[in-house]
Amino acid sequence: MRTLVLGLGNEYAGDDAVGVLAVRALRGKLAGGADVVESAASGLALLEVFAGYDRAVIADSIRTGRSPAGTIVEVRLADLGLATAPSLHQAGIPELAAVARRLGMGFPDRTRVLAVEVAGPLMFGAPLSKPVAAAVAPLGRRVLEQVQRWASEDSSRGRPAGAGRGPKDTLTRGPGGARCTTTTRSARSSRA
Amino acid sequence: MSREILIDPMTRLEGHGRIHIFLGTDGGVDRAYLQIPELRGFEKFAQGRRAEDMPQITSRICGVCPMAHHMAATKALDDLYQVDPPPAARKIRELLYSAFMVEDHALHFFFLGGPDFIVGPDAPRQKRNILGVIDAVGLEVGKEVIGVRKQLRDLVAEVAGKAIHPVFGLPGGVSRSVSSEVRPEAAAAAARAIQFSQFALGAFREAVLGNPGYVELITSEAYTHRTYYMGLVDEANKVTFYDGRLRIVGPESKELLTFDGRDYLSHVAEHVEPWTYMKFCFLKDIGWNGFADGAGSGVYSVAPLARLNAADGMATPRAQEAYEEFMTTLGPKPVHYTLANHWARIIELVYAAERMAELAADPEITDPRVRTLPTVAPREGIGVVEAPRGTLFHHYQTDERGLVTAANMIVATQNNAARIALSVDKAARALIRNGQVDDALLNRVEMAFRAYDPCMGCSTHSLPGHMPLIVDVRDAGGTLLREIRRD
Repeated sequence: MRTLVLGLGNEYAGDDAVGVLAVRALRGKLAGGADVVESAASGLALLEVFAGYDRAVIADSIRTGRSPAGTIVEVRLADLGLATAPSLHQAGIPELAAVARRLGMGFPDRTRVLAVEVAGPLMFGAPLSKPVAAAVAPLGRRVLEQVQRWASEDSSRGRPAGAGRGPKDTLTRGPGGARCTTTTRSARSSRA
Repeated sequence: MSREILIDPMTRLEGHGRIHIFLGTDGGVDRAYLQIPELRGFEKFAQGRRAEDMPQITSRICGVCPMAHHMAATKALDDLYQVDPPPAARKIRELLYSAFMVEDHALHFFFLGGPDFIVGPDAPRQKRNILGVIDAVGLEVGKEVIGVRKQLRDLVAEVAGKAIHPVFGLPGGVSRSVSSEVRPEAAAAAARAIQFSQFALGAFREAVLGNPGYVELITSEAYTHRTYYMGLVDEANKVTFYDGRLRIVGPESKELLTFDGRDYLSHVAEHVEPWTYMKFCFLKDIGWNGFADGAGSGVYSVAPLARLNAADGMATPRAQEAYEEFMTTLGPKPVHYTLANHWARIIELVYAAERMAELAADPEITDPRVRTLPTVAPREGIGVVEAPRGTLFHHYQTDERGLVTAANMIVATQNNAARIALSVDKAARALIRNGQVDDALLNRVEMAFRAYDPCMGCSTHSLPGHMPLIVDVRDAGGTLLREIRRD
């Protein structure tokens, strides 16, 4: 059983970074063998990321206005609804899941969405608001717990827990000689 | 008593991506516009950062077009350090950029333009979405869109390090060369892309041109604006995405001017209205004369239709053939129909695929010399590319260490803002009478949206990640009179 941990958000846009930061802190800690992916891409740009996984945990931000900033909410994909998406910029995870399933690309049957209610405004270069900054570690723990729960289900059924891919990260020289982590062609990394 | 109607496609973020319609005392439309989010805070955020980090930072601005920002920033660095990339580096950049254009245009045409032209404008609302398009074209075509896209993304990841957020652009070149093993992969991906683009063209011809109702819709006055058009062109005035000079053609088809992107501030200015923080780009050479079209108004447009209008043709054979059919059917040039953007997009898809093939066939692309090292102290750099949705400017000033002291960026949607306002205004005037809002307003605005595909608040990604369209009708006191909502 393969598990994807996906952190979504723009790390330069204030509270939007919460999902990315939460999963980044989990790298190397997911003994159960899940692939950790961070992305600032949106909607259909993420089409291929889910392919081949049996289950996924998505860490993201959300604005419902119904909870105080920093609250972690679990969202069911079905509850997000399908928009008519008048623009590529307006297609989100629900559209992505619908397209991937309809085309038989394999969207994980078991997908949990954990999101942190954000404060506004989500400005470029803004720091995380205090309540959302305080939610980064708890969000990571919730993601970790979910992955561990699945792993223990596997082991109680006698399946090997760590069936993720082998380590694929490579270190390359980025622009200006900066070291930056680069994932392989599948834009997916494994720190199992 | 004046009233405001608000169409809010993005309820998650305050002040972002809203459509405002102001009614006058007679119940008619006073003015209407789309409020497009600015990249608020970016200029300040950039200050003090290393210029060479900008290709990575700016690639996160947009969740849809990271490659366009990466490339505009990389070209701005070439200018900043006054280095010309070696031929192989230029070709590698253009190869990957063309792959990106194919990928984005294919996805947009089928899944986003599809609801209007493949499913059809009269189809039931629940069918007019991505799934309706897949049902209409069939699973195999849907899978081919994804298959082509995957092959292109694999190629980009192979050459650029990452498919989503590329890490290969450096001042004066690229971070790695293309091996002789990768070149055939690029050629194979290009061949598949050409085949697919021909199929897309055929699908459009069959669905749209064979249907007089669609042609009538495209050419209807409701979607017509006689503005100026801007786009990058090569030496022969043919469409180009990666590099060239900017050409502006007027509503009567006469060239207004051609200029180097570095001189953009001499030709493009931003108009400010007292009723919005938004800025509307216009042509300095003409001047701002209000929200109007015609040769006397500095309002201009970018994106696929604008590029075809600003150029004299396409540089590759199949695309040129498609261009001629387009101009014969909808011309004379320039074509002023906003909805023609969908057709123009497929012609560009053909060009991008053919251009990829040309570059992949060029043995020089495997030359290991892919970097010219900077030697001069940096001061100022400007980079321009054609993003899928139109001209994109990046402009940085730095100190002698290369730390950014000032940054400016004009994204495609900002270039298009005034023309989008014209579209919203026209829809509103046609469909709002005596304070009564026709439900068709939402449809009409949505169709214009699909054609421009404006970038709204894409620097953030909060769930659900999609934006419903909402029209609020309020009286002067702010009381909600009516809400039309589309989720």
